[in-house]
Amino acid sequence: MSADQDNQQDRQQTQIPDSSPEQESGADKSIRESVEDIFFQPRVLVVDDEQRIRDACQRMLSEEGFSVACTQNGEDGLDMLEQTHFDIILLDLMMTGLSGFDVLSRVKSLHPDTVVIVITGYATIEHSIEAMKKGAFDFLPKPFSPQDLRLVVRKAIEFIRTLQDIATEKSRMRVLINLLSDGVLTTDNQKNVALANPAFLRMIRSTKTNVQGNEAREVVSNSRLLEMIDEAMVQPADSFAEIADEITVDGEDESEATILGARCIPFRDRLQRKLGTVTVLNDITALKKLDQVKSDFVSMVAHEIKGPLNSILMLLNNVQSGVAGELNEKQSEILGRVADRIQSLTSLSSELLDLAKIESGLITQEKEELDLCEMLDNQVALYRDKASAKSIDLDMQQSGQSVPVMGNRTNLEELISNLISNAIRYTPEGGRVRVSAGIDGNYALLEVSDTGYGIPEEEQEHIFQRFYRVKNEKTRFISGTGLGLAIVKSIVDAHKGIIQVDSKPDTGTAFRIYLPTLQEGKA
Amino acid sequence: MSEKKLVMVVDDDPDLVEAVSMKLESKDFRVAKAYDGQEAMEKIQAEKPALVILDVMMPRKNGWVVCDEIKKDEGLKDISVVMLTAVGDAVPSTSYTHHDGKTTLADDYVPKPIDMGKLMEIVDDHLGS
Repeated sequence: MSADQDNQQDRQQTQIPDSSPEQESGADKSIRESVEDIFFQPRVLVVDDEQRIRDACQRMLSEEGFSVACTQNGEDGLDMLEQTHFDIILLDLMMTGLSGFDVLSRVKSLHPDTVVIVITGYATIEHSIEAMKKGAFDFLPKPFSPQDLRLVVRKAIEFIRTLQDIATEKSRMRVLINLLSDGVLTTDNQKNVALANPAFLRMIRSTKTNVQGNEAREVVSNSRLLEMIDEAMVQPADSFAEIADEITVDGEDESEATILGARCIPFRDRLQRKLGTVTVLNDITALKKLDQVKSDFVSMVAHEIKGPLNSILMLLNNVQSGVAGELNEKQSEILGRVADRIQSLTSLSSELLDLAKIESGLITQEKEELDLCEMLDNQVALYRDKASAKSIDLDMQQSGQSVPVMGNRTNLEELISNLISNAIRYTPEGGRVRVSAGIDGNYALLEVSDTGYGIPEEEQEHIFQRFYRVKNEKTRFISGTGLGLAIVKSIVDAHKGIIQVDSKPDTGTAFRIYLPTLQEGKA
Repeated sequence: MSEKKLVMVVDDDPDLVEAVSMKLESKDFRVAKAYDGQEAMEKIQAEKPALVILDVMMPRKNGWVVCDEIKKDEGLKDISVVMLTAVGDAVPSTSYTHHDGKTTLADDYVPKPIDMGKLMEIVDDHLGS
């Protein structure tokens, strides 16, 4: 082979070591070195009863950098295979003694990793097809040119390399996944375990070590986790949603229970066929504990503030009401202002408490089947007086159907109450507040809209932040703590809902809250 | 009008006791004060008030216990007991949060923060003045 030919086949040259490394560029060299790391020197066994063929193959393949061994019959070939691993066998089909077909079958059953290329004496297509059926990788019809031989061997090398790449990738992936501190579980489309890393098994407190191929429900005892896998599997091909939840795994005693954040997604191929699921667990026990400590602290502080403030307010009210003697007009006015400020401080501490409670415990809070329409009706009734005091038309639009949701009653009441109270406070006299509940697809839709001052667009993204208040010349005198919508958002989040705001300054604001309907509301 | 009726106000917050007492006195009641459950029990035994306004969370002896002791004592059980309950806002680590009034023997319940007008109405109802 000429140097010209080599240069024309640069790509392949880098894959097969040859005897002229000094011609290589730096980049080629590094590729070549990494290839050699994986695939040092391919070993080829030539089994042919023709001396001429054996010699030709030996010479040519040696030049290409292969390590070559030859033998003239099948029995010896199989013996040599027992001694050493060969990557490629060039096998003559028509030999005296053991036939090439017999050798092929034996090689395929005993050394499946070895690639067999058959050499067919009379270029009969039937023989070639049969050999391929029995597991030959390719065939080389006699007579063949050095170029023919080189091409077919290079193809085989490419194939072996690809297999090795896959194997390397697989083992790298396995090492990586086993090293992760997050738990990983993959299941196939029959819900059998394809992979479960040690962290996963430890997190679900499984005592098993080798679970591959087991049914998922034999390995995982947590029913919610199994449900999540089921939910991921039944997702229609055109939708893709991550299923996330918190699960608690009980320990030996209560104090050892761990809380895990679990996320499960369906795993599909490019044609969207379901291949299985991937679940990732992370241990959030410490976070949850910290969160509880934080909430307890906030709760404690707020409580300690709220009590004294209420006492102060009561004392003050006594003075205001003349229990401690008559007041003049100026004194009354001053005390009125003081009382208002104290009142707003107590509201603040109440709302802080609410927020702390919501943030700490909603997930474990009891949920029940509730009718949004009925709850809305009740809350509207409570705000009727406040609305008419400002000549605001508070109107509940009846859809005539019940809107069932799974939720925590206290929280949802508070959510509705906050929205209606906001709407009334931020709507000027003579305005209108409309509330409604209905079904929208898989969601229950709760809507509270007003004809109020509205929220400037640049402020809309901030309104759910704690203590954020939209302040301008119109809203300056509206009292509030800036926690109302933060509470609303926390409640919506805890119910796995979505909140949207649609607002235009001086036109009005509409809050839309989507909560999963009861059918979908298991989560 | 006969002799002024005695109402006892029990809470560990002296300002709250003072505020309620002031209001009661303005409405022509006599007032006795106590600042924990133990002290309350002793004063109730000694002074036999007509009505006790009783906080729940207190040092030494909590309000539920005091209430039980009053209602199970032959000599005291006619005393009206109005519990001041901290609805829903108690510290999470304590067991007294919300009380629906079914398991204790109190005559009435007023949630904190106290609505003074409401409390006075309840006192009037029980003392029939």
